[in-house]
Order: sequence, then C-alpha cells, then structure tokens
Amino acid sequence: MMEMDAKIQELDRRNNEAELGGGEKRIEQQHAKGKMTARERIAHLLDRNSFQEIDKFVVHRCHDFGMERKKIPGDGVITGYGTVNGRKVFVFAQDFTVFGGSLSGAFGEKVCKVMDLALRNGAPVIGLNDSGGARIQEGVMSLGGYGEIFKRNVFSSGVVPQISVIMGPCAGGAVYSPALTDFTIMVKKTSNMFITGPQVIKAVTSEDVTAEELGGAMTHNTRSGVAHFAEESDRDALNRVRELLAYLPQNYRERTPDTTCKDDPDRTDPGLNELVPANPRLPYDMKDLIRKVLDDGVFLETHQHYAMNMVVGFGRLNGMAVGIVANQPRFLAGCLDIDASMKCARFVRTCDSFNIPLITFVDVPGYLPGVQQEYGGIIKHGAKIIYAYSEATVPKITVVTRKAYGGAYIAMSGKHLDADINFAYPSAEIAVMGPEGAANIIFRREIEGAEDPEATRDRLVEEYRNNFASPFRAAEVGYIDHIIFPEATRPRLVKALEMLREKKASIPERRHGNIPL
Amino acid sequence: MSEINAPMGGKVIEVKVNVGDSVNEGDEVVILEAMKMELPVVASASGTVKEIKCSSGDAVDAEAVLLVLE
Repeated sequence: MMEMDAKIQELDRRNNEAELGGGEKRIEQQHAKGKMTARERIAHLLDRNSFQEIDKFVVHRCHDFGMERKKIPGDGVITGYGTVNGRKVFVFAQDFTVFGGSLSGAFGEKVCKVMDLALRNGAPVIGLNDSGGARIQEGVMSLGGYGEIFKRNVFSSGVVPQISVIMGPCAGGAVYSPALTDFTIMVKKTSNMFITGPQVIKAVTSEDVTAEELGGAMTHNTRSGVAHFAEESDRDALNRVRELLAYLPQNYRERTPDTTCKDDPDRTDPGLNELVPANPRLPYDMKDLIRKVLDDGVFLETHQHYAMNMVVGFGRLNGMAVGIVANQPRFLAGCLDIDASMKCARFVRTCDSFNIPLITFVDVPGYLPGVQQEYGGIIKHGAKIIYAYSEATVPKITVVTRKAYGGAYIAMSGKHLDADINFAYPSAEIAVMGPEGAANIIFRREIEGAEDPEATRDRLVEEYRNNFASPFRAAEVGYIDHIIFPEATRPRLVKALEMLREKKASIPERRHGNIPL
Repeated sequence: MSEINAPMGGKVIEVKVNVGDSVNEGDEVVILEAMKMELPVVASASGTVKEIKCSSGDAVDAEAVLLVLE
C-alpha cells in the first residue's frame, strides 16, 4: 500500500509541476502585462470544471544548445477538451511562460492531436495564441510542426468551426494558422499579428512603424480585415468566443441548436414603416432595421470596424440562428467596393459551410466607381459575392429595402442566384440603373434637342422614376416574390424561414469550384 | 490637432460649421454628395474648427482634408 501512495504522490508532484508552467516569476510577468495565464484562460473559456487535459507531461526532444537540461512538462501549450454552454469543444492554449510559448516539434504534435480529435468527433476547435513563434533551437522540427497544423486547419475548414483568439504576439509563419480559421478575435493593446515585425521592416524598407500600428488589434479590425473582433481584455475575448459559438453548429452535418424565443415571432414594428427615408438621397442606419427585426434586438456583428459599407453578423429569428448580410447606406452610400465584397463573400461562405440560413437586406447604389477600385481588381473581388451566393445552398431570403441597381442588384442575393424568397419594400427601386443615369441615356436626343434641356431632363427623370424605380416591375415578372409592408418584416422572415427549414438543394458535382481569389 | 477627411470622392453640398465653432465627436460637419446620396461626414474627435478647407460645390477626392480641428 505504501508503494501505491508513493506513486500517487509522484503523480501529484508532477501535476503540480506541470501546472506551474514557466514558474511563478513568469506568471507574475504575464499578469503584469494585463494578461491571464494559459490555464486561467481555459478555465474562463470553458464551463466550470469541464476541462479535460491531455498531454500534460509531454516534453521536447531537443538535445542542442543546452535545451536537454531545460524541460518543462507540457512544453508550452495546454491542450484538451471540455464544454461551452454544455457543448463539446476542443482547445489549445499557448503558454507564454514556457519558452515564450515558442513552438517545438512536440508542441506542434500536441496541437495536431486535439485538432485530429476535433475533426473525428465533430466539434469546434478554439486556439488561444500567445507565442514568440518558432522555437529556434529546434530548427526544421519547429517548421514541420507549423506545417502540420496549417494542413489540419485546411482539412478542418468547413468541417468543424475553428476560432482563433490572439492574446499576445503572433508573428511570422504562426499567423497563418489563425488566418486559415473561420474567426479571429484580437485583444487590444496586448496582441499583434504580422509576417515581419517593425525591426525587420525598418531594416529592409526603412519604414518606421510600431508593433501596434503594424499589427495591433485595431489595425487588423479596420485596415486589413484579418481579424473579426477587437476586445478590451482577455476576459472579453473569451466571452466573445462563448457568444459566437452559440450561433454555430458543432460541425457541417448539424444545424445550430434553436433557442427558446420569448420575442413574439408575429411581432410587427410600425417604426419600420418610417425607418427608410422616402428621399432616396438620405442615408439611414441599416443596423437599426436589423435590430428591430431580430429576436430581442440582439445582433452579433462580425467585422464591425472593417468595410463598414457592408454589415454582416449573426442573430436569431424565432430562435433559429441566421446570418445577416446588409448594405449600410450610412457609410460610403452602401456601395460595393473591394473590401466590402470580400467581407460579404467570406461571410456568406462561412454561413453556407455551417448550415446557417442567410438573410440579406439590400440597399445598394452599385459598385464603387474609381481608378483605384479598378486597378485593385474590383472585377474579381466583386465576382466573389456572386460566386458565394450562387453556390450557397442554405435557405436564402432577401429583402430589398430601397435601391437595388444593376450588377449589385443581381449580386446581393438576387432571384437569379437561386435566392429562395425575395421580398421588397414598397420603397424599393429595382432597375438597371438610377433614374438620372437611365434618363440621360434613353432620352439623350430628346434632352439635347429640347428648348430647355434641364427642365426636359428633370421631367424625364421623374417620369422614369415613377415608371421604373419601383418594386412592381420586378414583381410582375416574379423576380420579387412579394412586396411587403415594412412593419411586417419580422413575421414575414420567420414564416419564410420556417417554410425553408427542410430545404434540400445541390450544385453540380465537381472536384471543387474555382472562386476568383 | 486633427484633420477630417472625405470618406470617399464626391461633391461638397453643405459645410455645417464655421471657423471657431466647437464640435463634439460624432457631430455632422460636412455633407458630401456621392453615388447620388447625401453622406454626412462626422467629426472624428471633439475640438474647435481651426480651418475649413472646402466649400459648397467643391469636388473632393477620397481622403481629401475637409476641416482641421484643434
């Protein structure tokens, strides 16, 4: 019996050693930076006492540079599984207190093991990143580790949701794992992401830039679009993961669980009748409209600070999770430009991967004209929207609130891309272009030959507006299924969504499509 | 000191402030017309209007400085 006690004591000792990571001093340093430790993060992310750790005693196998004398159980990453709101998730958390969270061969294998488990068992993977990068002493073993992780990110893409949280440095090759996942959440001030850091940039191009300017949370949330959320603290970022997971299914074969909805599905909102200004030149906030329609007014916007002329995010309708895509007339007139196109297409594909129905609110004046847009490839980027909507087989419901002109009308989940139900408000203007442009072309001779060209133009523009800038032409040919009273948007959407619950659709068989990247 | 820039190219149709006015972050300071819509340009910070670099009717490029605040 004594012998057994001794063995249990040894396990206790080893558990304690592993749980101390890089030691108390480094834990203090981590806290001093305003960061939680890897273990604290996992404890906050998962349901209480649900975490089941694996590979706690793994150590590296490096025998160079004196590393053979420096071994810490766990080797800088904590891995395992647990639950979030009772649903299974897999998690890895890089531990900055152990060798700066640097990635060794053994570290890479630990991450791959949980990713393999997640894929086989059909549950999301959450990666908490806080790492100095490759463990240089390990050389190519470290690079191999990254490569194996990247490949698994790709193989898991569209099978199980993958969420990355950046809670410290994430530089060089390490950035590609988050980049391959579905959502990236960054913590303000303490996290950054870049391929090459400020010192290398200074040496190569003489540009002066701080780490925060180059790759801080707001840089990637506003300029690059690499990150989807910017949070104030570790705690906020982990709460965001929990919130986001609620809208996602466990894997591509499942549907996001419904919640019980206390908000009346038949609730009408007379405020919606007034929300879209009668004057087509005046902007309004599309997010007001979205919140009035969704259950309890709750809308989780992703990419909130990036390409603000396009709004995307999640909500619920009578308890059913939906993805919202909407033009935002308040910003850049709600036009489609390169950034908005990429934001929209990526979100549509994310929803389609995971069986999340799409609700699209359209008020779009068109694609943004401009030399920079053309040189930047608006043709191929704009095409992504059409591609993403066309191949999406989830339920697709569209509401045209006001403008839907030209190519942008088609792209924004138009009937022709197999949208299931297309609604329009009476204020909708669905036409090949705006009345001003159209009248100038159609009536060019008549205007030029008139005694008073200005007055003639105004009259013809008005005539065109009355005849064509309405939803009725489109409704007459069935491109719009119904013209609805704005106040009834919510009940209309709920009923359409319920009708489409068992939708089955497919696209032609092939190896894979070739989206214009 | 901060500058308020045009969010996109367009025509200035109204300047809603004068030199010396104090503005709060989020106040509408200029109305631009672009894509046949009126787009309010809001102050990105609070301050006093030091200089107005555009006037009604001007065509401006994206990023052009419209106002300087201090």
